Amino acid sequence: MSRRGMDRDDEDDEEYEEQVEDFDEEEAEEEEERGGGGGGGKKRRRPSFIDDDAEEVDEDEEEDEEDYDDDDYDGGGKGSSRKRQYRKVSASNFFDEEAAVDSDEEEEEEEVEDGFIVGPDVQDEDDNRGRPRHRQPPHQEDHEDLEEMARRIQERYGKQRLAEYDEETTDVEQQALLPSVRDPKLWMVKCAIGRERETAVCLMQKYIDKGSELQIRSAIALDHLKNYIYVEADKEAHVREACKGLRNIFGQKITLVPIREMTDVLSVESKAIDLARDTWVRMKIGTYKGDLAKVVDVDNVRQRVRVKLIPRIDLQALANKLEGREVVKKKAFVPPPRFMNVEEARELHIRVEHRRDATGGERFDTIGGMMFKDGFLYKSVSIKSLYSQNIKPTFDELEKFRKPGETGDVASLSTLFANRKKGHFMKGDAVIVIKGDLKNLKGWVEKVDEDNVHIRPEMKDLPKTLAVNEKELCKYFEPGNHVKVVSGAQEGATGMVVKVEQHVLILISDTTKEHIRAFADDVVESSEVTTGVTKIGDYELRDLVLLDNSSFGVIIRVESEAFQVLKGVTDRPEVVLVKLREIKCKLEKKINVQDKFRNTVSSKDVVRILEGPCKGNQGSVEHIYRGVLFVFDRHHLEHAGFMCVKAQSCVVVGGSRSNSDRNGDVHSRFPGLRTPPRIPQSPHRFSRGGPPSAGGRHNRGGRGHDGLTGATVKVRQGSYKGYRGRVIEVKGSFVRVELESQMKVVTVDRNHISDNVAVTPQRETSSRYGMGSETPMHPSRTPLHPYMTPMRDAGATPIHDGMRTPMRDRAWNPYAPMSPPRDNWEDGNPGSWGASPQYQPGSPPSRPYEAPTPGAGWASTPGGNYSEAGTPRDSSAYANAPSPYLPSTPGQPMTPNSASYLPGTPGGQPMTPGTGGLDIMSPVLGGDNEGPWFMPDILVNVHRAGEESVGVIKEVLPDGSYRVALGSNGNGETISALSNEVEAVVPRKSDKIKIMGGGTLRGSTGKLIGVDGTDGIVKVDDTLDVKILDLVILAKLAQP
Amino acid sequence: MFFHIVLERNMQLHPRYFGRNLRDNLVSKLMKDVEGTCSGRHGFVVAVTGIENIGKGIIRDGTGFVTFPVKYQCVVFRPFKGEILEAVVTMVNKMGFFAEAGPVQIFVSNHLIPDDMEFQTGDMPNYTTSDGSVKIQKDSEVRLKIIGTRVDATEIFCIGTIKDDFLGVINDPATV
Repeated sequence: MSRRGMDRDDEDDEEYEEQVEDFDEEEAEEEEERGGGGGGGKKRRRPSFIDDDAEEVDEDEEEDEEDYDDDDYDGGGKGSSRKRQYRKVSASNFFDEEAAVDSDEEEEEEEVEDGFIVGPDVQDEDDNRGRPRHRQPPHQEDHEDLEEMARRIQERYGKQRLAEYDEETTDVEQQALLPSVRDPKLWMVKCAIGRERETAVCLMQKYIDKGSELQIRSAIALDHLKNYIYVEADKEAHVREACKGLRNIFGQKITLVPIREMTDVLSVESKAIDLARDTWVRMKIGTYKGDLAKVVDVDNVRQRVRVKLIPRIDLQALANKLEGREVVKKKAFVPPPRFMNVEEARELHIRVEHRRDATGGERFDTIGGMMFKDGFLYKSVSIKSLYSQNIKPTFDELEKFRKPGETGDVASLSTLFANRKKGHFMKGDAVIVIKGDLKNLKGWVEKVDEDNVHIRPEMKDLPKTLAVNEKELCKYFEPGNHVKVVSGAQEGATGMVVKVEQHVLILISDTTKEHIRAFADDVVESSEVTTGVTKIGDYELRDLVLLDNSSFGVIIRVESEAFQVLKGVTDRPEVVLVKLREIKCKLEKKINVQDKFRNTVSSKDVVRILEGPCKGNQGSVEHIYRGVLFVFDRHHLEHAGFMCVKAQSCVVVGGSRSNSDRNGDVHSRFPGLRTPPRIPQSPHRFSRGGPPSAGGRHNRGGRGHDGLTGATVKVRQGSYKGYRGRVIEVKGSFVRVELESQMKVVTVDRNHISDNVAVTPQRETSSRYGMGSETPMHPSRTPLHPYMTPMRDAGATPIHDGMRTPMRDRAWNPYAPMSPPRDNWEDGNPGSWGASPQYQPGSPPSRPYEAPTPGAGWASTPGGNYSEAGTPRDSSAYANAPSPYLPSTPGQPMTPNSASYLPGTPGGQPMTPGTGGLDIMSPVLGGDNEGPWFMPDILVNVHRAGEESVGVIKEVLPDGSYRVALGSNGNGETISALSNEVEAVVPRKSDKIKIMGGGTLRGSTGKLIGVDGTDGIVKVDDTLDVKILDLVILAKLAQP
Repeated sequence: MFFHIVLERNMQLHPRYFGRNLRDNLVSKLMKDVEGTCSGRHGFVVAVTGIENIGKGIIRDGTGFVTFPVKYQCVVFRPFKGEILEAVVTMVNKMGFFAEAGPVQIFVSNHLIPDDMEFQTGDMPNYTTSDGSVKIQKDSEVRLKIIGTRVDATEIFCIGTIKDDFLGVINDPATV
């Protein structure tokens, strides 16, 4: 810069004469070619130069200088032309000197300025410091000058004005006001950043000083445009002349503003926002960057405002600083916003002064130059360091500002709308006027102009439409409106308005039935029903997710940037707010677990919660993980309807068909006949200690095989069919099983085993039976009982009461201590063979006890089972129990439970491992499982609502229930009964019977000619064959 | 509000019901199908009161089902905005209470409960006036005004208020 200045001086000396010569000519010519723009400079000027060579040389000399110039030059020609003009203008020595001095000064100042450029705040102060120097003189000068100027201005513009404003302006006339080619042009001049105003004022000063010498018309500095000012002049040369010597102007750069854009230069004021008191703003920079602040005072002249902030002050650091101690600057650390507590400050020996503010007269606590009141920090900042457009404070922020007992922040809320986005009202919106004479007038938007909204008022006598400023309007809702939130934190949610508090609406969310607060501005009326945002990234509402710390939970709400997750903790509902990145992954495994009664629970099953805080609730299982169920109940209002419970504290209700199928329960084709919980059957198994979670064979899919290891299984296919053993190891699709009977380890195909795993001891508590009987599913097991009951009990309790669970409970418990061995010998999990036909072949072990004819060759498998008793695995129970079934103790029919075994037990079954029995039996049994159990025309007992009656089944309905005609002859009223409410009347000797199972025999009638234990000897009517059939599949035929 | 209106429905009947009792079957099936349902336009169908007309049946190819256009009279219940209803409180929580008027569920937000009533937590959550004279808890009967309705395919959900003259508890089981 300074070098350039020097050069210029030298050059000026050289070229001075030439330029003086040129001056007049050039100007004249330029006037002729007015409007040609700067580009034509060289051409224009060329004829005026007498000595082309000199010019050439001159240009060479200036090459250095050109390098300095800004890139704006279109070409060398233009650049040189400009310089030429500049030089010409700078002819005056006086100015030159001044310029030289100034430029030094400027350099210094520029450096200073550079250092402060980051902070407009400081820069502004700098401005203030600089301004008076330049501003003051004109004020102090004698008034003559001003009057003179006024006169001149009058001269210059007066006529026009008179002519133009006399009449009413029409659109056409307005058009005429637009600049044309004949009007002075607007030039954009580059100046020092931050010195725009100053420069413009300097130009004004200069004009005042030099009067008409300066041929520019006006100078404009715009607040929003940095680095440039506009100068209105007819010619570029005039601009250059005017700018010559101004230290803030880098004269090289002058650009013409195209005529079309001239109006835009001066029509930007709409962007300028007026900050009023109580407006909400946000800080742009510094410690408080992004913080919400409230304007308390505006100084439009100094472009400063005083704002109220929540202080972010580290008192300790402040104390240290004030005491002159070394303060370690931690850059990254920004103290959290906290209200200033003066007492606390005093404790840290920070001097707190209590003084009255000079301007406002309010009292402030002053600490180290910072002013506090009511805990808030009052800070004076430059307008430029604030964001004031479209500020959307959150409710939390507003809440904080409301802190010291301010009632209703209505005024400031209304100012929220002052700077809101455009295009926010739509035709048809219901609105209310919030300011001015028409305050509280309601209406509907008819048309939206730029700033004005035309509304159709609600009142009849008012004009049809009224134009109201957008800022005076607010959307209006009434309680009961169904709305959707379209922006803000709750974006996307829908709900019904329950309360309108000025500009804040309270909604009841459609999905969560919770209250939502939203600004009226963010809401539109809508009939749509949505949950709001339901997805961020890969995670969606209701997904089961693994969290960072390996806990897990289900997403119950999606907020703008975070999820609410109900954690998988069962003792109490625990909700955490997690960010997207805190979620490790989604858990989508399909896992089955077992409920309290060892029913398989899988997703979508309906369960009832029996224990814990959610006790009594019922809902469908949404997710299962680590034995924890997430149950969803639409009517549960908390946590979006989700409850988190242990699988063990639930019981499956009804159950879906697929679920039953998984259990291999053929009866599932009748919804009423869902898998029976096998409560009573397995109390003895605890000694095995099988893990409760080790579910049935079918439950394991995809879950890894760990659960199987150690479980007791039965081989149901292959050469070891019928053997039982403990799983030692799982190897891919094979398992190694330690056979109980043979004390050896064999490898069996996974698919060839069925596991009948032990139950945990706690299952044994008798209370559980009570619970079981409460559950709706409980009755559903009854139909199954016929399978088992007679096998065990029927002999003893021919009246079928024993089938009912509570009875069983009683029936069993006394035996329990004794019976384990027996149960073990039988299928450990009789339910499973009751349920799954494929178990049948393996299950006949139980039969031997029932078999009327010991020599019938039943005991093939039992053989194995008996020896099994010797295996150490079979717990002490074996040893303790004087098992009547051991071959060595054949003559002990007097054991309490022996009744059912009486006929067969002591017999030599163990010794006769013939397999025939199995073969005979299995088809019959297999058949049993295929059809509906009961058939028309059989006599049944109906248990209903505590009463018991006899009836005749008339019809089997497809849904598994029955139409039963009451009365032993079926002549009473006809009712429909669920399958679990009926049970067949057990036939007695010489009764007419109907065979309800047994494959080909099914449906046949016959006569019971004898009962042997649990088997009946039947003479089939059609064939007159005599068959031995399980009593269970026989039902007494109703007498017509 | 209850209305007695005539509605029309196309009934599909399984061939096995054809016979002397076809009409009866049709009517009973209609009742089974229609009663208790909800439509946005008409509200809940409370009961079918009569059959206006049964049109000619059209046999569906392939299935053998027959479609009959049936016009029937029925009583429907549809809540309206501004309607005053009497309802039984089913649940009380801190956000308000739910009440039921027949099949319609109504939520009364705590903003729409008079300000002098405050929520009391406990075994039996309730809203009670400061002097304890009025108490809203489960099974209380309240008279309320519906201020908004939302109609889904299967239910109508309403927002109600008791913050108005002559609204509030009309019968409290606790005091009886």
